[in-house]
Amino acid sequence: MQRIVKVWTGLLALLLLAACAAPVAAPGGEQAAGEPASGGVTISFWTRDSNQAQVRSLVDAWNASHENQIEITVIPASEYMTKVGASVGAGAPPDLMAVDLIYVPQFAAANQLTDITDLAKGLSYFDKLSPSHVRLATYDGKIFGLPFNAEGSYLIYNKGLFEQAGLDPENPPKTWGEIADAAAKIRALGEDIYGFYFSGACAGCNAFTFAPLIWANGGDVLSEDGTVATLADPSVAGALALYSQMWADGLIPPGAQADTGTDFANAFTTGKIGMAGTGAFAINNIKTNFPEIDFGATFLPGQEGGASSFAGGDSIAIPAGSKYPQEAFEFIQWATSEEVQLEYYAKLNNLPVRTDLAENEYFAQDSRLTTAAEAMAIGRTPYSIVYNQLFNDANGPWLKMIQTAVFDGKVEEAVNTAQEEFTKILAGQ
Amino acid sequence: MYVVGIVLAVLFLFPIFWSTLTSLKSPAEASAVPPTYLPSVLTFENYVKLNQYGAGIARYIFNSAGVALITVLGTVVLSTLAGYGFSRFRFPASNLLFLMLLAALMIPFQSILTPLFLLMSAVKLQNSLIGLALVYITFQLPFGVFMMRNTFDVVPREIEEAALLDGCSTWQMLTRVMLVLVRPGIITVAVYAFLNSWNEFLAALILMTQEVNFTLPILLTSVRSGYYGAIDWGALQAGITVTILPCIVLFLFLQRYYMQGLMGGAVKG
Amino acid sequence: MAAVFTPTKAARRGMGTLSQRRMVAGFLFVLPAVLFTVAMFIFPLLMTGWMSLHNWPLLGQATFLGIQNYVAMVQDSQFWASLWFTTQYTLLVTPPIFILAFLLALLVNSALRGIGIFRTIYFIPVVIGLGTSSLLWVWLLNDRVGILNGILLDLGWIQQPVIWLVDKNLAMTAIVVSIVWKTVGFSMILLLAGMQAVPDELYQAAEVDGASYWQRLWYILLPLLRSTFALALVLSVIGSYLAFDQFYIMTRGGPQNQTITAVYWIFNNSFTYYKLGYGAALSIGLLVILGLLSVLQLRVLRDDTTY
Repeated sequence: MQRIVKVWTGLLALLLLAACAAPVAAPGGEQAAGEPASGGVTISFWTRDSNQAQVRSLVDAWNASHENQIEITVIPASEYMTKVGASVGAGAPPDLMAVDLIYVPQFAAANQLTDITDLAKGLSYFDKLSPSHVRLATYDGKIFGLPFNAEGSYLIYNKGLFEQAGLDPENPPKTWGEIADAAAKIRALGEDIYGFYFSGACAGCNAFTFAPLIWANGGDVLSEDGTVATLADPSVAGALALYSQMWADGLIPPGAQADTGTDFANAFTTGKIGMAGTGAFAINNIKTNFPEIDFGATFLPGQEGGASSFAGGDSIAIPAGSKYPQEAFEFIQWATSEEVQLEYYAKLNNLPVRTDLAENEYFAQDSRLTTAAEAMAIGRTPYSIVYNQLFNDANGPWLKMIQTAVFDGKVEEAVNTAQEEFTKILAGQ
Repeated sequence: MYVVGIVLAVLFLFPIFWSTLTSLKSPAEASAVPPTYLPSVLTFENYVKLNQYGAGIARYIFNSAGVALITVLGTVVLSTLAGYGFSRFRFPASNLLFLMLLAALMIPFQSILTPLFLLMSAVKLQNSLIGLALVYITFQLPFGVFMMRNTFDVVPREIEEAALLDGCSTWQMLTRVMLVLVRPGIITVAVYAFLNSWNEFLAALILMTQEVNFTLPILLTSVRSGYYGAIDWGALQAGITVTILPCIVLFLFLQRYYMQGLMGGAVKG
Repeated sequence: MAAVFTPTKAARRGMGTLSQRRMVAGFLFVLPAVLFTVAMFIFPLLMTGWMSLHNWPLLGQATFLGIQNYVAMVQDSQFWASLWFTTQYTLLVTPPIFILAFLLALLVNSALRGIGIFRTIYFIPVVIGLGTSSLLWVWLLNDRVGILNGILLDLGWIQQPVIWLVDKNLAMTAIVVSIVWKTVGFSMILLLAGMQAVPDELYQAAEVDGASYWQRLWYILLPLLRSTFALALVLSVIGSYLAFDQFYIMTRGGPQNQTITAVYWIFNNSFTYYKLGYGAALSIGLLVILGLLSVLQLRVLRDDTTY
């Protein structure tokens, strides 16, 4: 019997031993957060992986010049909310987080963010910040976040293919009809050359690149306050019909149907795609890795003209349980300052989050970046506390609508079903 | 017979072989359309690119190995003790307890993830490799206990009787006599625990709140989602290769015991 | 369950206390595992049950609902559709696994020289993680960079790259193939174990009686493999019913939500719609269904064979 008691002690010892041997004493951790060596504090900061290169260089610059240090954790974008939700639920949120701007209303509605209204309004450039970011970060008249990373969607096109097809590369399409027309002419260039591309199995991508077609035409998908679905608007069916016709005419590569959003930039950079909706991030990628491709950028149009964009990117917010809200805001203020916006955003081909900096010395060399920055400034973003379920869910009504309309050619049925499902989700929120 | 065997073997090895081969192509060739069969040059460039994700590949290998080690130790100790207990002793409610241990097989892991996370934060074990290993051990126990009970069951009782006559205590019996006899079972449980711990993704993501503590599968997900629609196929194949190679090597080294243990455990089932 | 150890003459003197002590000893042996399971599994499971009675958002306060989530579950057409799809998937994937596993087991059970190498090779995919293998197959099946389409094109079997994952039937075929590849080795080993446990005398006797190879297979081997089949089947069916990774990674539930499995739907509710309470209720529902299914299978395949 005593022996068996010994097993127990032995077992405990073994686990403890394993505990010591294993790399648990990783740098950082709770000690580091509580008692910094240098006198400053360590602020934990979570961000998603999509724009990690930019965020890392930004944080490195901050850490090199400030006593308070920022410890960054990069989380796969697809699991970001799951992760943050679980941590908040367990009372262990980070001190500062960058979050896709569409989720801010949901966090704010659940009382999970620190109210920074006074601090934000105290910034001299407050009214120059990306309007869509600020709108989504406002809940109940209070401000819970500021823009951290900006994106504007626009239409990217291959100038080489335009020229070959006899189109004017300096005069890109300005209406739906011109898009379809240009796509058809480019398609005619060769067996493996296609006019248009979109990620047919990616919900979020199509909120980014398809919804602006609706907005540019004067329509909308949700009411201003985000409580009523407005998919019955004829602009929705019209834009769907544009895609559907291009698909039926074979102007879009068949593989687009299976693309979950991981492959669309790769498709364009083969040089065999005429046009695609995309964001500022693509400019950098293509310039660096595919210098041989000559491309232009233009606004996403409506049926008879007009222009719109999806203003995307991240907001930066201080979770309700943050240990260092004051210090965290100092970082926010620093990140939105003119100097940082120019040196760590514009200079690295990232859009500034301030509309007053859309034209700057770095973008002057590349009009495409200015186009993207202007797109962000005119951009819109649906405001909803169930955004994820409506638009981002790979199995949700938004993607289903696009797939049914485009690939099955049933535009009317698609719109009706989606309107019903949107309404149901909005009613249950 | 041999022809069939060889054809099948080629089919079984084909995906792994090609993935590894692709990881050794140049990044441009790895995402070439249409794909090339053989690399025109052999290079480790894709591995260099892989290393640029997050905290670097070495850190993730280290973390994955650490968690796997604790998981293996914990699972083996707990399963061996329990297997011995269930196989050789009768006590009240033993059947019920055995079934309770097996029940975890039937639960989708995702469904108790939130409570587990709350529990781990309550005892301050979230964001530690031990905490993660504890979760993995829980999910390895059903198989481990089942396997070890069956392994003990097929050890002839005469051996124990002889040992008892020689004056061995129950504890000595287990440590000196039985452990040698059930070694294939233990190795099976250990290999199984290692593989599952090494390959698990969701719990690792949820429980670890700092990047330096992430494990390999989280890295793979990052690589897969790519930078804004530009998936890096070469880096992905490099990541897959890094993830599966240790599993295959471990299996090849221990397969004799592993197979033996699996087969011993299965027959009794 | 094992019979009680027969007390030896030497031990018989203190028999009453001995059996009591053995009882306690046995209990102490299993106690660590039991405590561990209670703390890390039963307790969280009870909490899942508790959560299932609430409206439990990811962020913010939970509110008590009673059995409302379960009422919603019964009316949730997507849940039943997912269960039906999971059943279809299980029915589709199980026969190929078992037929192939049985044939492979026969093959590697032969006395040919070097057959062990084949056994090793067929087992290798088993040691790869399901998530990793799904990623591997996403790449193999890709219409642009995937080697599979490259080979089929070069062989002239297809004219255009096949886009495997956009058509329900093609996607299912692709997933079934990938899963068979990944898991067949495991079932093969279980069946091989069963085959090797069949006493040789039985075979020899049948051979003497003039039974052909196939007759021996059908009348002797298969019936004797019943209990092994039962084990392998229960493990495989539970695995199929809990299928998630392969669909999450390979099809994302598409095309048009036609490949959403039960666990996928639970995951969506908990981690995409952030309705943790409802997700918990669905989990409990699935648990009950799986439990019933396992009991049923074991009943049907109950082993009353003695050698």
